[in-house]
Amino acid sequence: MNTTEKIREVAKQLLADQKVDLVVGFAQGTLPLRSTPYFARTPEQAENLIWSATCENNLANFVRKRTDKVAVIAKGCDVRAIVALIKEGQINRENLTIIGVPCEGMVDRKQICQAIGCQDILEVTDQGAELSLKGKNFEKTLAKADVMFGSCKTCQYNTPVIFDELIGEALPAKEANYDDIAAFEALSAAERNAFIAKEMEKCIRCYACRQACPMCYCSECFVDCGAPAWIGKGAQSVDDNALFQTVRVLHLAGRCVDCGACERACPMGIKLSLLNRKMVKDVKGLFGAEAGVNLNDPPALNVHQFEDKEDFML
Amino acid sequence: MRNPYLPLPMKLVKNFTETSDKLIHTFTLEYLNEQDAESFQYEPGQFAELMVYGKGEAPFGIASSPTEKGILKFSVAKVGVVSNALHMLEEGTIVGVRGPLGNSYPLEQLKGKSLTIIGGGFAFTTLRSTIQYILDPANRGDYGDLTVIYGARNPGLLLYKDELAAWDARSDINLITTIDREVEGWNGRVGFIPTVTKEVAPKTDYAIICGPPVMIKFTMPVLVECGFTPDRIIMSLENRMKCGIGMCGRCNVGSKYVCKDGPVFTKAQLDQLPNEY
Amino acid sequence: MIVSKNEIANLLTQLAETYRVIAPVKKDGMLQYAAIKNGEQACLDDANTKKPGKEILFPQSEELFNYTISAEGIRMQDNVDKEATVVFGMRPCDVKSLVLLDNVFQNDQYTDVYYLTRRANTIIVGLGCAQPAATCFCSSVGCGPFAKEGSDIFLTDLGEAYVIEGISDKGKELLAKLSLAEAGAEQKAAAAKLQAEVTADGSINIEGLAEKLGGMFEHPFWESLHEKCIGCGACTYLCPTCHCFDIADEAKDCDGCRVRNWDACMFPLFTLHGSGHNPRTGGKARWRQRLMHKFNYFVDRYNATACVGCGRCIKNCPVNLDIRQALADVRALD
Repeated sequence: MNTTEKIREVAKQLLADQKVDLVVGFAQGTLPLRSTPYFARTPEQAENLIWSATCENNLANFVRKRTDKVAVIAKGCDVRAIVALIKEGQINRENLTIIGVPCEGMVDRKQICQAIGCQDILEVTDQGAELSLKGKNFEKTLAKADVMFGSCKTCQYNTPVIFDELIGEALPAKEANYDDIAAFEALSAAERNAFIAKEMEKCIRCYACRQACPMCYCSECFVDCGAPAWIGKGAQSVDDNALFQTVRVLHLAGRCVDCGACERACPMGIKLSLLNRKMVKDVKGLFGAEAGVNLNDPPALNVHQFEDKEDFML
Repeated sequence: MRNPYLPLPMKLVKNFTETSDKLIHTFTLEYLNEQDAESFQYEPGQFAELMVYGKGEAPFGIASSPTEKGILKFSVAKVGVVSNALHMLEEGTIVGVRGPLGNSYPLEQLKGKSLTIIGGGFAFTTLRSTIQYILDPANRGDYGDLTVIYGARNPGLLLYKDELAAWDARSDINLITTIDREVEGWNGRVGFIPTVTKEVAPKTDYAIICGPPVMIKFTMPVLVECGFTPDRIIMSLENRMKCGIGMCGRCNVGSKYVCKDGPVFTKAQLDQLPNEY
Repeated sequence: MIVSKNEIANLLTQLAETYRVIAPVKKDGMLQYAAIKNGEQACLDDANTKKPGKEILFPQSEELFNYTISAEGIRMQDNVDKEATVVFGMRPCDVKSLVLLDNVFQNDQYTDVYYLTRRANTIIVGLGCAQPAATCFCSSVGCGPFAKEGSDIFLTDLGEAYVIEGISDKGKELLAKLSLAEAGAEQKAAAAKLQAEVTADGSINIEGLAEKLGGMFEHPFWESLHEKCIGCGACTYLCPTCHCFDIADEAKDCDGCRVRNWDACMFPLFTLHGSGHNPRTGGKARWRQRLMHKFNYFVDRYNATACVGCGRCIKNCPVNLDIRQALADVRALD
């Protein structure tokens, strides 16, 4: 049985036994290289569940603050978010069944688009390590590893850190890799500013990043607040756009699970992970904390130790 | 092309604290010149965007009546950025007014008819405009019996207290004021609007009703019981608005824009719309 | 008329001497509309722009007017953009969207001078789509890859050259000034053949849809439609017909300006009353509004469907909530 078949089997059983009211997973999307979040409430609907290299959304978003009994098909990053949300009192672990799926990484449509000159893809065949793509006037095979999301390339927790059931074999843990951040840190302040300004210029303030982020769940975001208006609401101000992202990163300090959902959701292709991952790296380096990697560690912001670095304080 | 987004500068001549909790102020504005007064032709039920320069604008029902020449009045509760700024303004300040906007109560159609006006809380503003208009000597003869039922949580929260007293002394208006709970020194009625309406059992041709959603919800069956058909119950909606000219989409309910097609609708019209107000 | 592709850059550069010329250009790896001075910058071969054409007449953020407060009083400065403009190479779906937006920005009482002035001073050169994308469904919604409605001038790509047709008086007048070569009978026939033959996905049947939706406000369908929606504004901001906006004042010291920004019915704050009451509280009500507004309310009000089938919402939705699927689902309901 392949992963999809196993997922269907487990989901059908849970629904048939009425152990859960709902299984949240993925179904085939309407476009090549797209899957879509799916909500199965009957064993028949569970037949629509799939697993592929395009299951890019973080499903933790859909299991927060629920009153029904839910099972979720969760990859490594989904589970990290779930763990962090359990600790923040947003998910009741008792009502959630985690069907973990070790994840080898999801493929990035934007990179694939670049690789084929953004021609219309009409058919995709997954050949394990490679994807073969067909369009009207072209055929191309790409190695998945070459077109994987940045966040998947650097992912250390491919195998869910907690689960009730694991579909397939656990994958070996990977070493931390912050080469992208180190390269960014190596730039001069002016270069970094210029880079960020260029990225923020693309922002249309659709807030897909915030909405896709499992950890961004404030009932009123500071950007939306009208009194006081902390920030301009228009997208034409690069400074305001940058301020939005900066504050978002600060609000996620010690909470960001580095899943990359924000960057994946951005319709404008803004490189949002740089700021987030810089924070992730610093929190880890300065306080030894990582969000959502186990149920025991208290959230980084809840802990104070005398050894904590505080040289940033004036 | 006239630019409907540009405000008309007007002078704030009176910033009056209307209620005992100080949360509602009534602002009296004067036109800066005669042409402005000429061009600002409005009818009871219409609203305008009131602007504090540097802060923004927000929509408010016009509380004055067109029969009160040379001025506009607005009674504004302190809830947001603009209303907070308004409350702090000194008399003499120039403010902006954009309007008149929206439709009005169908006063032409109501000629020769008897009328019950029901208001609750601070939603009494455009009702004041209407009452003032009807009571004007030039208009009073055009309308039949006028019954007004007006309630607030306590006596201090009733708007336009001097006018209420003056109306009470007249014989051509049947004014019933009520408060939610017994208070020492209050000689009027005690009870919620739906209950009082039931007691009064108005038998007029039309009813106009404005107030918080909960009041509307419970008064509606009473009006139906009193024999008002949906086309004879007139209401005013308070959806969130921005442009006020039927473009920005914010107050869209079904295929209507509350700001332009409303805010005044009959219950019969509202029954045809999705309940998104 | 006809112009070879080699000459098109020169033609644009020449136009740019008299007009503000706006054309699709490659910027940050995306196709975007931008004002150009040099025709070489224009990129006419790629598919649709990332952001919709509405932004040319109805920018995402726009200063309506500004004011200064001084002892002498208040001085207001209105910022109506009157610059004569040629938009070159707009796809038929985006052009159609402007025709739809014309309904919105002018009604029996009011005229949006900012939109309408730009509109009056803009000549639209439409460009037919020889290769509609898989996400295109313009042919389903009363538009099409070669629909000329709204274009003042229309281009048909014959590979080596564009066949150019003057559509409106405004367009014909401009063409008369350009002294272009006449298209031969063969070229005209080739263009006509393309125009007749190329279609996008026309399988989404919207006939009778408005009536059906009209009776569906309370239907359980809405309970599930929105379930995967994360509530961002990507679909509405990138939609060429979505036109909701917010108005706000921005002030520095005693000066201020009134700005308008795109806003979206997908955001909870959009309808929140000052009292705290919100008539559309959840994703269910908001998605119902989105679909209803496009396929029922707009039809009711303006006798047209507020969707041009450009496919941007499909391409850009973070969770693949495909409006074609939603429409097909509505259709399939009893």
